[in-house]
Amino acid sequence: MAQKKKAPVDATPPPVREEFKFGEVDLEVLEQSNLLDAKLDRDGLVLQDEAANAYVRRIGQALVSNELKLERVLWRFRVLRDPQPNAFALPNGSIYVSTGLIVLVDNESQLAAIIAHELTHVMRRHTYVQNRSNRKKFLTMNIMAAVGAYAPGGIVGAVILAVTTVAPFILMATIYGYSRDLEREADLKGVDMMISAEYAPEEMVNVMKLLAKDIEGENIRLFYNDHPSLNERIKYLSSYLGARADRVTHQMELNRERAAYFKNMESVMRHNIQLSIMAGRFHSAVFDAQRLVDFHPDSENLFWLAEAYRTLGPRSPQLTEKELTNSAKKDAAKKRQKRTLEEEERDLLETPAGKDNWQRHQQKAEELYLRALNAENPAPLVHRGLGMLYEKLGRPNDAASEYEKYIELAPTAIDRERIKRRIETLRRT
Amino acid sequence: MRLTSYSRVFKLRALVPALIALATLLLPGFSSPIHAQFLHPKIKSKETTIRTVVILPAKVNVVRDSMKGPEGMAAESEELSARVEKTIAEVLSKQKKVTTLSPPTAASGQDKSQPNYNVADFQTKFDDLLPKIMKKRSDVKKGRFTMGDEVLNLNLDKGTDAIIFIRGEGKKLTGGKTAFTLLVGGAPAYLKLMIGVVDARNGDVLIYTDPIFGGDPTTAIDRLRKALEKGLKKLPAA
Repeated sequence: MAQKKKAPVDATPPPVREEFKFGEVDLEVLEQSNLLDAKLDRDGLVLQDEAANAYVRRIGQALVSNELKLERVLWRFRVLRDPQPNAFALPNGSIYVSTGLIVLVDNESQLAAIIAHELTHVMRRHTYVQNRSNRKKFLTMNIMAAVGAYAPGGIVGAVILAVTTVAPFILMATIYGYSRDLEREADLKGVDMMISAEYAPEEMVNVMKLLAKDIEGENIRLFYNDHPSLNERIKYLSSYLGARADRVTHQMELNRERAAYFKNMESVMRHNIQLSIMAGRFHSAVFDAQRLVDFHPDSENLFWLAEAYRTLGPRSPQLTEKELTNSAKKDAAKKRQKRTLEEEERDLLETPAGKDNWQRHQQKAEELYLRALNAENPAPLVHRGLGMLYEKLGRPNDAASEYEKYIELAPTAIDRERIKRRIETLRRT
Repeated sequence: MRLTSYSRVFKLRALVPALIALATLLLPGFSSPIHAQFLHPKIKSKETTIRTVVILPAKVNVVRDSMKGPEGMAAESEELSARVEKTIAEVLSKQKKVTTLSPPTAASGQDKSQPNYNVADFQTKFDDLLPKIMKKRSDVKKGRFTMGDEVLNLNLDKGTDAIIFIRGEGKKLTGGKTAFTLLVGGAPAYLKLMIGVVDARNGDVLIYTDPIFGGDPTTAIDRLRKALEKGLKKLPAA
């Protein structure tokens, strides 16, 4: 756990841009940032989990000294309900990390690496600098067209849409990144901040490698988006770390403990699986749920893995190399724009591989649901999951019974009306 | 292909008259509203009648298009979103005798985050479905699109027949950009709305309409009302 204390390592002064003077254009950007904060909150995109937000805040406060006062900056650290790995900073000091990023990283130090990078963007006033530069360059890029090209749908789309509405300049920085030089500066200064706060700086490189994982075959990646390219970033970071040759402290070792991180973030990770399923990111849901089950096997995590397999349906559990080529990703994105998820499933079920996958995944899901019922404190949701599974498998009586158990155990559940209707329909048939 | 500066200037010069001619042809047509409405068979056959609706918060985004590129208009977008919601409720009430109920809120003592997430997630689900509807709007007439029975998780008033989702995008031009558009061509100021009416009991998309009109979206109040009246014209009265 990060502690606020004097670091026994060579602390580097925070990378503040002292000479920065606010102009009218910058104040407009600041106002839009404040509006965006309010909008993300109002639109239900900020995770209202005090423990998770406090944990992220603690990391942020370990990286940035309390004494550090910056003009028109109020540090706020919040978690966004967004299953895509992403993080961004607003120039007013709001740092957002997505649930998708929290579930991707392995330890607190890796999360600190991302936050340190974002803090540097704020301290060095990168948003203002980039915005001024864009205006000078006669910004011809149409923001709406950029959003159209991205258009991933799902929860991810909701965050991007909110950002676009309020502050297109943030969208530019979020999707396309800052300029190469500013990103490089954020990486290197971020490493300095990590060392000062006793986070192992190698984790900055490790998190870059994690971000390169493409589980969903996405066209456009957020946060690093090859700008500069991942290999280039790993190269200059490694050479920078080699030159510094800092020693590893005991606190650094503690901060890279995987189990402690997973324990703190388990509920956020579960929430993210739910978001992934809703956003049609089924491969990520299986991957993340499996990681959770590996960490804490006989628990509610089994239910989430079962949900992930049930909803994965006829899709293959992992994308093949061929499916991860650029042209295949573009084709898949086009199909996603045309077909609904139900239509995609129907089409896949007409193929032998799809049928085979469906059977295997439903079987696996049932096995996991039943194991979840025997785990510690089984959640009523397990019965709902089994009901949905049996309904799909054409076992109406079993489905209705499971739904009834669910309603009995969770009489005030938010989806009780939906389940009651399903019971009525099933009993009629 | 990279052009030399000379050939680029030459190409631009050749394009200017063509663009002016195109803008002259397009502008008058664009200033009058265009309306497309697609009704689910259940609405057409009057198997389903809409008497009571809930309008979920509209997401209308307008940008100010200047010579330096588009700039966000956050406050104006919020204001316009609220105005669109209000105008739709008025049009439905006056012309179709449809009552609008308040959107769901957390009951006192209840955790506020869950209903808030529910509405957010449902709005997102519509955002995900919208591009598919827009790709083939006429499929609404075949009853192809549904948001599923998760719609019941919103726990609306039992008498609610439908839920209305509103999205919109528009552009306001600065003085310089207006002059540039007139001279060289380009899209004028406009507002395009995308409205989906979803069955509150099973999630079927009952109506999709996308009224569009030309003019400054932040000030053209009458045009907005007229566009909405025409956009919802085919909806049978309650």
